[in-house]
Amino acid sequence: MSDEDTIDAGEHSDLTAAEYVLGVLGAEERRHAEFRIASEPRFAAEVAFWEARLGGLAEGVYPVMPPAKIWDGIEARLSSALAPEQPRAGLWQSLAFWRTFAIASAALAAASMAGLVYLANLPSLGPPLLARLNGESGQASFVVAVNKGGDSLTIVPAALLSGEQQKAFELWLIPPGDKPHSLGLIDPTKPVRISVPGTLLPKVNSDAVLAVSVEPPGGSPTGQPTGPVIANGKLASL
Amino acid sequence: MDAEARRRQLVAAINRVAGGDRAALRLVYAETSAKLFGTCLRILGDRSEAEDVLQDVYLAVWRKAASFDERVASPITWLVAIARNRSIDRLRSQATSRVNVPIEAAAEVPDASLSAVERLEISEDQARLRDCLQELEERQSAAIRAAFLEGFTYEQLAEKASVPLGTMKSWIRRGLMKLRTCLER
Repeated sequence: MSDEDTIDAGEHSDLTAAEYVLGVLGAEERRHAEFRIASEPRFAAEVAFWEARLGGLAEGVYPVMPPAKIWDGIEARLSSALAPEQPRAGLWQSLAFWRTFAIASAALAAASMAGLVYLANLPSLGPPLLARLNGESGQASFVVAVNKGGDSLTIVPAALLSGEQQKAFELWLIPPGDKPHSLGLIDPTKPVRISVPGTLLPKVNSDAVLAVSVEPPGGSPTGQPTGPVIANGKLASL
Repeated sequence: MDAEARRRQLVAAINRVAGGDRAALRLVYAETSAKLFGTCLRILGDRSEAEDVLQDVYLAVWRKAASFDERVASPITWLVAIARNRSIDRLRSQATSRVNVPIEAAAEVPDASLSAVERLEISEDQARLRDCLQELEERQSAAIRAAFLEGFTYEQLAEKASVPLGTMKSWIRRGLMKLRTCLER
């Protein structure tokens, strides 16, 4: 975290999971912790431990009845939302689900439709690695396919992103236990082919997580994600 | 219905939400929205922000219900975690600090017509947490409670307690380590 870490240095004192659950971390540190939840099962288990144990502190919260309009708002938004995702289903099934949604969605850009056709044809190229990157709401925002040869990948937007024209979208590769590595900027309106740098090639495998963050124009100035992560997902082979 | 039966009912409802059952989501909402609204309100300190986040929370429940695992977390723990994370993220995305802003939520009167689920779960875990918190120094447990309930950062907690940042980090981290040892016993 920073300068003060020396206070409790040593032993088994990685308290980041506890600090994340407690809520004392800043925005950037929270994003980093979420990357670790997505990519490190041990860290995720540690977060679950603290959520279960510290959850009891919530007894100190007074329940307050929300106004009736809140439910109406939720119900209205459910109509335009996707059906709940089924993480236990196989990738084929979720891809089929995603494709059905995408085709049904009139709002999809023509460019994305081209990407769908491209993806639908992928299996003929060999057993590819695919990832569905879900947004905060759990909705698929991008689908990524590792191209034959494994030295490039194609990222296809699954839903139109609006209101972020002034921002750049950056794709990250997060190998287990490692920090995010930038794969470059992507275009949220059309499929983009991205070459994977040679040093990262061995890390593009089914253990890795991909994520998209919102960055200032030109990309992250620090080499690490600085803006909110709008979508992430794990690579898996069919 | 006793607390355990209600808890089982809530688990079953969340599992049905995973299958796309809107009536089940309505039930989860009816049983838990006051607790979660109170949670959002406490952290955000602003009614309209809290209302907005509460909607996001139940849309997230709708989307993520399939990832709920009752072996890992009780339904209320899972729901409160979603509400807290959404609220804290909203808080961090606001430019201004609310350290010195009076907490509106404190003035909210608890609703008398709450469902029993919202009052249940003085569970073993909870009793254990209480005991373990009592073993900490007063300033450590006070800081940990304030962080959890209000969503304050280290910086804000230090400012509120008028101690240097390093001191606050040390209080909380030592408190957390001691807490972990106690909770694992």
